[in-house]
Amino acid sequence: MTTVGIKAAAYCLNFAPELALHYGGTPRQERRAKPDSEFLRDLPGRAQTFEQAAAYAPNQAYIGAMTLEELAQAPAPWSDNPVREARFGTFGEIMPEDEFLGLMDICDVFDLIWLEEGVAASVAAKLARNPVLGEKQLARLEKGRPLADLEEAVRQHALPLYLHGRLAGCCRRAHDTDENLEAGVMLENLASKASGVLALLHLIRNAGLAPADIDFVVECSEEAVGDTMQRGGGNMAKALAEIAECVNASGFDVRAFCAGPVAALITAAGMVASGARPNVAVVSGGSVPKLYMNARDHVKKNVPPLENCLGSFALLLTPDDGQTPVMRLDSLGKHTVGAGASPQAVTTALTFDPLSRVGLRLTDVDKYAPELHNAEVTLPAGAGNVPEANYKMIAALAVMKGQIARGDIDAFVAERGMPGFAPIQGHIPSGVPYVGHALEAMKAGRIRRAMIIGKGSLFLGRLTNLADGASFILEAPGMGAGAGRQVRQEDVTEMLLTALGDLAATLQKGR
Amino acid sequence: MGKLDGKKLLLLGERDGVPGPAMADVFADSGAEVLFSATECFV
Repeated sequence: MTTVGIKAAAYCLNFAPELALHYGGTPRQERRAKPDSEFLRDLPGRAQTFEQAAAYAPNQAYIGAMTLEELAQAPAPWSDNPVREARFGTFGEIMPEDEFLGLMDICDVFDLIWLEEGVAASVAAKLARNPVLGEKQLARLEKGRPLADLEEAVRQHALPLYLHGRLAGCCRRAHDTDENLEAGVMLENLASKASGVLALLHLIRNAGLAPADIDFVVECSEEAVGDTMQRGGGNMAKALAEIAECVNASGFDVRAFCAGPVAALITAAGMVASGARPNVAVVSGGSVPKLYMNARDHVKKNVPPLENCLGSFALLLTPDDGQTPVMRLDSLGKHTVGAGASPQAVTTALTFDPLSRVGLRLTDVDKYAPELHNAEVTLPAGAGNVPEANYKMIAALAVMKGQIARGDIDAFVAERGMPGFAPIQGHIPSGVPYVGHALEAMKAGRIRRAMIIGKGSLFLGRLTNLADGASFILEAPGMGAGAGRQVRQEDVTEMLLTALGDLAATLQKGR
Repeated sequence: MGKLDGKKLLLLGERDGVPGPAMADVFADSGAEVLFSATECFV
């Protein structure tokens, strides 16, 4: 059995209600079509404050300031029942929007982000207190410009950046005629880059490594980085690594819509397992267009618009040392071209088939992590409870395969499922938010095996009607992981020497 | 003669519910003509 360790995890949120209001896909389209609409008029007044977002239970669970067991016990609706607000959690942090604008400036190497000088000074002081930002990153923050400069840039072509409704900065275009380098595209890419950098920095800290220890970065967001001649050419990964001072790393990007993170983890695991690259970080930042995606329904139904945070994550893959939880590479799930599109076919391809291949049953998995969208966001928008629908489908499959009784479906869902807690950020909720919690649960002995499942909506690109999916099994250390490891000659020699030493000691005692 | 003979269908699927191609399969022998089938993703 080939296995690869997952040594550390990081998860961060960047609170960004002003970016959501102005550049979230839904409000932005509405502003073009119906600038005087009731929705746009009411939306700003419904926005959460940073304190409310930081005390929102799913956000606390995402950054690891709350366990999933605590989240399941937290009274619903979560939006009406704030929990203890924590800026930092076991995995990462929730960062306010002013600091995020500063972080975007730090991550901007082409002088595209301009901050108003007062804002720049204020965020410089705040970012200097952040435990993951070092001197080199902080030195990249510019001193800012007079407000008049920003107003002029916005009059010309730059996109305004706001804080509390006031102009605080702008994002300039990176070319005067290239539509793939226009200000809107650059803003999306820089926001994804900055949120990804934050997760990567937390990962390095959580792993107890130096940035130079990272050998390779695989990035898996849904941004297209490139100019008019090579839209989507990349490489976001290396751009992240540069800001994080990972001087010994290179990188590349993996794209597969929301299945990207699982596809990237499998790709990275292959490199680690082969011995090609020992410390590989899989990273992704968040998506500006996904902010406030369902806000029209939220405003209409008088519930808070909760899609106000960019989500990001980073996971560190290392050789299996027998101490860390592992990805198994002998039982990867894939949704093949010929598998079919029905929910039953997709679920079979991603769960039953890979488990059967290694002699496991659906009931041998302690926790399933499919799409982990927060239902408090999706239910008012008519998109249902996505994780619950996935759990019911897996349970139904277990009934069909004779692995559980029909009457046990609810117990299967309750025991092997979890509430959705991830921000609605496309690729971010796709199974991976559970990996950090799974590592903690495995260390504490609460679970021994989990399955991480990602699904991607390839059809949105209008090149195929197919969707995609991928999955892998995550196991606690020592569950046979060593069985397939090659035994080194040194190990055998050491064992023999120890045994001979013990024998000699016994003989001497008996003399 | 089926209930859908001669009918024309527009199929709008949802990824985590029933996708368009799955519905198209169901209606393949119904006698109806699928004019358009697409899947959307709302998350």
